[in-house]
Amino acid sequence: MSIEVPVKTAGMTQPDSAAAPKEAPHPVAMQVKGLNFYYGTSHALHDISLDFPERSVTGMIGPSGCGKSTLLRVLNRMYDLYPGQRATGEVIFDKQNILNSGVDLNVLRSRIGMVFQKPTPFPMSIYDNIAFGIRLHERVSRSEMDGRVEDALRRVALWPEVQDRLSASATALSGGQQQRLCIARTIAVRPEVILLDEPTSALDPVSTARIEELLDELKTEFTIAIVTHNMQQAARCADQVAFFYMGRLIEVDSTARMFTTPREQQTQDYITGRFG
Amino acid sequence: MGNEPAHTITRYDQELDRLRGIVARMGGLVERQTAQAITAVVNQNEEAALEPPELDPEVDALEREAEMLAIRILALRAPMAVDLRVIVAVLKMSGDLERIGDYASSIARRAGKVEVLDGAISFSALRAMARLVQENLHMAVESMVENDAERAQEVWKADTAVDELYTTMFRELVTYMMEDPRKIGPCIHLLFVAKNLERIGDHATNIAERVYYAVTGEMLPSVRPRGGAARTNIEQPE
Repeated sequence: MSIEVPVKTAGMTQPDSAAAPKEAPHPVAMQVKGLNFYYGTSHALHDISLDFPERSVTGMIGPSGCGKSTLLRVLNRMYDLYPGQRATGEVIFDKQNILNSGVDLNVLRSRIGMVFQKPTPFPMSIYDNIAFGIRLHERVSRSEMDGRVEDALRRVALWPEVQDRLSASATALSGGQQQRLCIARTIAVRPEVILLDEPTSALDPVSTARIEELLDELKTEFTIAIVTHNMQQAARCADQVAFFYMGRLIEVDSTARMFTTPREQQTQDYITGRFG
Repeated sequence: MGNEPAHTITRYDQELDRLRGIVARMGGLVERQTAQAITAVVNQNEEAALEPPELDPEVDALEREAEMLAIRILALRAPMAVDLRVIVAVLKMSGDLERIGDYASSIARRAGKVEVLDGAISFSALRAMARLVQENLHMAVESMVENDAERAQEVWKADTAVDELYTTMFRELVTYMMEDPRKIGPCIHLLFVAKNLERIGDHATNIAERVYYAVTGEMLPSVRPRGGAARTNIEQPE
């Protein structure tokens, strides 16, 4: 006769650290290498190297003045509009360093679109807000333009709200609607990358949720970089998160990892609300 | 986990301190329960047997308090990183501590039932096991209060010895029962005492695992080094 002593099962299961389910890594859409940026003599970004994976959302967080918005403005050469600002290093996009002087900025900005903190509708009709950008880059027939405008508005879930008043002024829309219109205007020119600089900081929670939901859909098609002051928003929207502090990239990792087990003390202090 | 700089929001620190205070108090109480339960059995001390069940309601109340406070902090503060890990660890550890209290009470209640063995069975294996479990529990509670991942890892490794002693006691008691069926009753009670001690050791290990995670952000491996598993078949002598 033999008696089995009950063998207890081991105490804990091992979750796959804090990471999301394993997927094949996305190829890199945009690669920042050894980037330095100067506002005149002020050294604003120090030796930044960061990959933006294709069709995913990269969240950029950090206290005011940490350089996150500056980096965003480098990514489509927005800084070129201002004298005395210069960047050194590389931003590789489609095998080309976009910091090179020969780059056609109009083409670049049609491929790398940007949405700002405050909604910036043009003082024209809803329809023309979308059509304006398309006309800048392409010649399309009236019927094709109608289709492109409708498509862009549908994709930001604005179509049902505005389809009966396309010729009304865009400035009459609510803040949340205006911001979705701006996103529609950006995607209407069919960019590859969308940069968003605190796109919901002026919006109420419902409009914010709609934009976040929209990002989740857009990332199946576009590469997205979003600067946000709202940690919860980064946690909700981003696939990877980069933390900046005083012009330096302190840490970048998967969102789940960053918010449960950051490696750097500075990151931990910032995201847990222990900063200076 | 308590060694971080202060939060910008002072109230947040106060809430986390209060949460840690609750589980520290629970740790002290269940250590006391376990010690008294062991004294009750090993020294056949009737008075000691009364205390563990008496302390139970207080331990239960603290568990509820820890849970309510943890939920409140999760809802209102949206904790991240080390704070999040500590709160989740506290939620789980308070459950472990409450179970330890229950097992200690159960041991204490059986103290009177093993009396009739009257020296026929030596308590030496039980004493050794009790000493180890108490040590481990104490270290686990200490590692929890002091955020000591290293000590937590020691507890986690040490539980193997408890399992081995339990296996030894199991065999010994089965042999006694086969030799003299009149001893089956008290032997079964003693076996439950040993089993409950072994469970207390397990929960101490769980606490150590939680402390390790809260402090380091890493999980200990799911499979603990163990010695007893390969030798759990007990052959009856021919």
